[in-house]
Amino acid sequence: MNPVEIKNICKTYTRKRFLSFGKKEETPVLKDVTLALKEDRVLGLVGESGCGKTTLSKIVLGLEKPTSGQVIVDGKDLGNLSKAGFKKIRRFMQVVFQDPYSSLDPRMTIRQIISEPLDIHGLYKEKSTRKKVLEELIKSVGLSVEHLNRYPHEFSGGQRQRIAIARALALDPKILIADEPVSALDVSVQAQILNLLKEIKQKRRLAMLFVTHDFAVARFLCDEIAVMYKGRILEYAPGEELFSNPQHPYTEALFSAVPVPDPVHQKKRQAVSVAARADMEGHLCPFASRCRYVCAECGQTPPMLKEVRPGHFCACTALPFKKKKSSFAI
Amino acid sequence: MISPACVLDVQDLHVSFSTEEGTVPVLKGLSYSLAKGKVLAVVGESGSGKTVHALSLLRLLPPTAHIDSGKILFDGKDLVSLSPSSLRKLRGARISMIFQDPMSSLNPVLTIGEQLTETILAHRKISKLRAKALAVRLLKKVGIADAAKRYDQYPFQFSGGMCQRVMIAMALALEPDVLIADEPTTALDVTIQAQILRLIKELQAQAGMSAVFITHNLALVADVADEVLVLYGGLCMEQAPVHTIFEKPLHPYTQGLLHSLVSIRQKADFLPAIPGNPPVPGQECPGCPFAPRCPRALKKCFKERPPLFEQDGHKVACWLLEEKA
Repeated sequence: MNPVEIKNICKTYTRKRFLSFGKKEETPVLKDVTLALKEDRVLGLVGESGCGKTTLSKIVLGLEKPTSGQVIVDGKDLGNLSKAGFKKIRRFMQVVFQDPYSSLDPRMTIRQIISEPLDIHGLYKEKSTRKKVLEELIKSVGLSVEHLNRYPHEFSGGQRQRIAIARALALDPKILIADEPVSALDVSVQAQILNLLKEIKQKRRLAMLFVTHDFAVARFLCDEIAVMYKGRILEYAPGEELFSNPQHPYTEALFSAVPVPDPVHQKKRQAVSVAARADMEGHLCPFASRCRYVCAECGQTPPMLKEVRPGHFCACTALPFKKKKSSFAI
Repeated sequence: MISPACVLDVQDLHVSFSTEEGTVPVLKGLSYSLAKGKVLAVVGESGSGKTVHALSLLRLLPPTAHIDSGKILFDGKDLVSLSPSSLRKLRGARISMIFQDPMSSLNPVLTIGEQLTETILAHRKISKLRAKALAVRLLKKVGIADAAKRYDQYPFQFSGGMCQRVMIAMALALEPDVLIADEPTTALDVTIQAQILRLIKELQAQAGMSAVFITHNLALVADVADEVLVLYGGLCMEQAPVHTIFEKPLHPYTQGLLHSLVSIRQKADFLPAIPGNPPVPGQECPGCPFAPRCPRALKKCFKERPPLFEQDGHKVACWLLEEKA
């Protein structure tokens, strides 16, 4: 039994437009997403902006309701839980958000921020135990005890993200959802936080969902990676397998577009062109209009995830034809 | 000394901000020269002064900031002391700028075409019709399909990447000598980023334009730059040709920065991060701004600011190089 099972999640946002006579505008953001978070594993969810990766993480957290499909946490369906039942589950599932400037209350001290989840769940009420727990937590994220009495504005971005991580760890969760936790940080600080997340995951055997747009970060931290595009998972594979054998044309295009910090190598590389062509709109494959291997079948058959190599799933109808692809290196 | 091939020469530029707590220096003596047809990448973390430096080049700083001293020489004129009206003639025509967030840099209530022709008509005495023809041609050049139709659309009808293309078209409309690009692709997805970079490189090579490219992303630097300037705490730490920076970085900060990069090319178990946090402007020590985080800091580093030691075009501000120089 995996800690989290995401089964056939679909999410459509609807809005009523003014003077539209009851007609609704529907925007599908997630289409039939099935994934699982495993104990002591990090699942990377990688995609460009607007692909639905944040929406999916919100649904897993229960912050958004899916239009259809189930999220099963610890054997229980999130959709059928009572308020009290949900609170129990939430204790084991915590989140770290992208922006450490807006996710910490500026009027609370760090002690109050980290204590809040403990208060809500009524844990460690005894004064000396609470003190000990807080001190251990703040040290485990690389800050010191005197930081507890300060306010968020006294900290830099990286330190704030450490505080957000300490708050998430306060309840000793089994599941951690991290939504772009390092993308707002400076390069030199980013490395510190990535090391910290890796260390925490190993120590606590967490099941982690790591949402990112950065493949380099995903390669460092993730055990499995799902590549998402327009609300669909196009490719899913163990991390190293994905980087050595990317199968989907979209993944290939993304890899080729990521610049590498090596001027000699980088100046030789050529990004795969993915300019959108209007004539391909309406194809069943969401990537068809930008794909260079597009064929007639892409318009007829919806792309389904198929196992193309052991443990490696890819949703591409044109896949067998793709073999004539030019060799390319990351 | 200005060599004839140099288009922009910044000399000992000091910029500070007036705040409630007093004056906070942000740039503490930045000097460099930009060669014709070359791309200089200015790399730095947040608070290093890289955007302030970009804004001060065109005197676009907010009212609380002021240039205390220094010179910015362009075409024999000092931009720091130039009159507002002569400066206005240069902005957009000879030196132009691309900002980080394309969505907020365009005016939402004017069409793309109106904004493009506004720039052109402000500097050239041509008819509106010819300005429109030029604008449409520019939109085509930056890869916007169906340019004539797009000309009459508003920014909200464009995606982020398309808006940035419009910004580039606007910046290049009058064939400037210098392009200042302040994190032009940070707000964009990687595939779009690759397109925009290719576009800037192509146009830059065609027109022989020089560019100052400001970024925090070292991988982008490897892609676009000829020369790299590493900025930290308002000071230049190291400046060298791009290959030298990546192969033989001499400053501990540059070395640390390169080591701490996450690589997409191989899996690492641990990242050798630089400990500590970037300095907050106004709270640095009197010596080298990197000294508190530096693994090889000497006593001297905390007390005295190192000068730029130069050898074969490789400039490094670090006391460790004192004996070698």
